[in-house]
Amino acid sequence: MTILKPLGIVLACVLIAACGRSSDTSTASNTTAPGTLAEDPPFRIASLDAAALGAALGTSTSGAELLAITGVPACGVDFYYIKFWTVGALPTETTESSGALMVPTGGAGCTGPRPVVLYAHGTNTNKALNIADITDSTNTEGALIAAMFAAQGYIVVAPNYAGYDISTLGYHPFLNAAQQSGEMMNILTAARTALPHTLSASTSDNGQLFVTGYSEGGHVALATLRALQAARATVTAAAPMSGPYALEAFGDALFFGSVDLGSTEFAPLLTTSYQHAYGNIYEATTDIYSPTYANGIDTLLPSTTPIDTLFATGLLPATALFDSTTPVVPGQPALTNALAEPDDPANPDTPLFRLGFGAPYLIVNDYRVSYAADAVADPDGAVPTPQAGVPLAAKAPTQTLRNAFYVNDLRNGSWAPTVPTLLCGGGQDPTVFFAVNTQTMADFWPAQVAAKLITVLDVDATPSGPFEKIQAGFIASQAALLEYYESAAGGGLSLPQAQAQLVEGYHTAVAPFCSLAARSFFNQLSSGPQ
Amino acid sequence: MMKLKTMMLSVAGAAAAMACAVPAAADDAVYGNSFRAGSYAVFYHTSATDLAGPYVPAGVNFKAQDLETLYVGYVRRLTSMFDVELALGYPPLSKVEGRGPATVGSVPYNGQIVSSARWLSPTLFLEYKFLPESSKLRPFIGAGVNYTAFYGRESTAQGNAGLGGPTRLSLTSSVGPAATAGVGYAVSGHWHVYTSYSISRVNSDITADTAGVERTAHIKFGPQAWVLSVGYSF
Repeated sequence: MTILKPLGIVLACVLIAACGRSSDTSTASNTTAPGTLAEDPPFRIASLDAAALGAALGTSTSGAELLAITGVPACGVDFYYIKFWTVGALPTETTESSGALMVPTGGAGCTGPRPVVLYAHGTNTNKALNIADITDSTNTEGALIAAMFAAQGYIVVAPNYAGYDISTLGYHPFLNAAQQSGEMMNILTAARTALPHTLSASTSDNGQLFVTGYSEGGHVALATLRALQAARATVTAAAPMSGPYALEAFGDALFFGSVDLGSTEFAPLLTTSYQHAYGNIYEATTDIYSPTYANGIDTLLPSTTPIDTLFATGLLPATALFDSTTPVVPGQPALTNALAEPDDPANPDTPLFRLGFGAPYLIVNDYRVSYAADAVADPDGAVPTPQAGVPLAAKAPTQTLRNAFYVNDLRNGSWAPTVPTLLCGGGQDPTVFFAVNTQTMADFWPAQVAAKLITVLDVDATPSGPFEKIQAGFIASQAALLEYYESAAGGGLSLPQAQAQLVEGYHTAVAPFCSLAARSFFNQLSSGPQ
Repeated sequence: MMKLKTMMLSVAGAAAAMACAVPAAADDAVYGNSFRAGSYAVFYHTSATDLAGPYVPAGVNFKAQDLETLYVGYVRRLTSMFDVELALGYPPLSKVEGRGPATVGSVPYNGQIVSSARWLSPTLFLEYKFLPESSKLRPFIGAGVNYTAFYGRESTAQGNAGLGGPTRLSLTSSVGPAATAGVGYAVSGHWHVYTSYSISRVNSDITADTAGVERTAHIKFGPQAWVLSVGYSF
C-alpha cells in the first residue's frame, strides 16, 4: 500500500492529461436515397497545379498529343473521388456508385463561380475503371476531360457508372436510358453537395450546366438532356458525341450485316443489361449465344480481365459476331439475301462488315433471323431503307431485344432539345455509325436543325464553317497517322494495312476533336471560360 | 533548443539553490520513496516504412520531431543497491514531419508538419546503484519495460491536403524494452539531483483513414531521453 499510494498520484497526474481523441475524417451518409453523397467530404486523389498537370500529361506521347489538341492547362485541377447512391435498372437495386469531381484551381478564371460540365464516358470493359484516378496511366478518358474541360476552368462531374469500381451491382445497365440518365443526375446532385466541403471550396458552381459524353456516353448525355428537361432542371447546352442514339436503327443495321467494330463487346453488355431491366431477353444464354461462348457470358463484362485476354482465352470472339454460314430462311429469299455475308465490292465498308462473320461466332443464326423478321414486319424509318420524311422508329417491335432497343432509342419520348445542342461525330466511324445515329437524329429534328438550335458536326467532313479548324485538324491528324503507320517507326505497314489500322483507331481518334468542338461550343454560352 | 537549455538550467539552478537553502539531514538517513521532477529531452530516432495504400506516390515517409517535456518519476527503494523506478513524462505533443517527395501532386510535403499525437509512455525500470548508500554520488544502471499509447492524434491542415482530405489517424500501442544509465547526487537531506540517459524501443502500426481510403505504415521509434531532475525522498 505504501508503494501504491504515491504511484496512484503520479498516474492520476498523467491520465488527467490523457483525454484526447483522433481527428475525424469524412462522414458516411445515413441514407441511401439516390443522389446522396456517400462520403462527405469526398476523397481528393490528387491536386495538380497547371504546370504539374501539363508536365504529367506531357510525359507520354499520347498525353503530349492530347495537349496539342486541348491546349496548355490554364488551371490546376483537384481530382475528387465521389461516392454516391443510385439505383440499377430496377428501383429496388440500390447501389453505391462512384465517379469524378474535377475542380479547377489557381488564379482568376479558374476559381470563384464556375460552370459545370457533366460528362458520360464511353464503353469501357475494365470493371475497375475509375475515371477520377488521374494517377492511372490507362485512364485516358479521365485525362482527356481533365485537360479539355477542368484545366480550362470547368468543374467536371463524371460517373464511373453502376456496375463499375465500387458498385456492387452485378451488371452494368449499358445503354439503359432511364437508369443512366438517372445516375447522371444523381452524381450531379452529390457533386453539388460535395463541392462546398472540399479542399477546393474557393471554386463554386455558377449554376450553368453543360452536358456531354462520348460513344456510350454520347447516348447517356442525350438521354440525360431529355431527363433534365423533363425534370425542368437548368441546362445551358449539350454536346453528345458519337453516340448510338437511334439504337433501334443501329441494331437493325447490325443484324442485317453492317457489323460494327466492337460489336462482340457490345453484344454481351447489351443483352445482360436488358435482361436485368426487362427480364425477357432470353430464358437461357444459349437462346442468343453459340455454345462456344454462352456459358458465363451474362457475367463476363465488364471485367477485371483485359479484353485482349478474354479474346485470347476464347471467352469472346474478337470480331465474329455472326456465323459465316448465314441462315437460309424458308420461303423468304429476300430475307435470306439480306442476311447473307456482305460482299458488295462497291461498298468501301464491305471489308469491315465481313470481319463480323466467322467461326466460331457469337450469335446463333436462329436468333439473328428472329430479330430480322421483326424488323421486316415493323421496319425502322432509317434502316435498312430510309423512308421519306422524318425517320421514325418502328411502331411496336415484338422481338424482345429489338423492343429493348426501341425503348432506349432516343427518338422515343416525343421530345426535342430545347437548349443549344451540338451533335458531333466522325463521318466514317466504324464503331458507332454516324449516318445511322447522328444524322438520323438530325433528320428526326429538322425544325431544331433549321433553327440552329441543333448543330451537326462531322469532324471528318471537308472543313467549313465555325468548326473548320477542328475538322482540318482531325483530317491532318489522320493523314499524319497513316504516314506514321507506313513509316519504319510505325511498323512499315503496307497502305492497306495502314488504312486498316487507321480504321481500328478511328472512333477513339475522333474523341478529342469532338471534345474540342464541344468546349468551343460551350465557351460561346458560358459565363466562365472563354 | 533554447527552450531545452532554459529548462535544464532551471532544474540545475533549483538544485543548487536547495543545496544552499535546505538544512542537511543526517547523512545516513534512508528513505523508502522518492518523487522526481525535471526535464525530459526526447530524441525519437524514427524509422518508418513508406506509407502504403491507394493513391500514394512512392517514397512518402515521415519522422517525429524531437522535443522536451516535463519528467515525473516515482522511485521505490528495494534494497541498498536496487530501486524500482516508474518514469513518466507529461504526455508530449509530438509533431510529425513529412519526409520524401517535395510535393505530393502539387501539395508541399517534405518538411511539412503533417500530424501530431500525444504519447502516454510510462517506463518501469529496475535499477542497480553503485557505491555505498552513504555516498553523495551514486551512478546507476537499469533495465525495464516501456508501454506507449498514442492519443490526441491529429492530421494537420497540411497533412489533410497531402492525404486528400480530413484524415483519422490510429496508431497501435507498443510494449518494448528499455534501458537507462545515470547518476544521482545527494544534495542535502531529502533532496537529490539526477541525470540519466534512457533508451527504449517503440513499434507501432499507423493507419490513416481519409474518406474511407486507408493507408498504412509501420513505424519504429528508438526514443532516447536525457533527463535532468530533482528528487525528494521520504
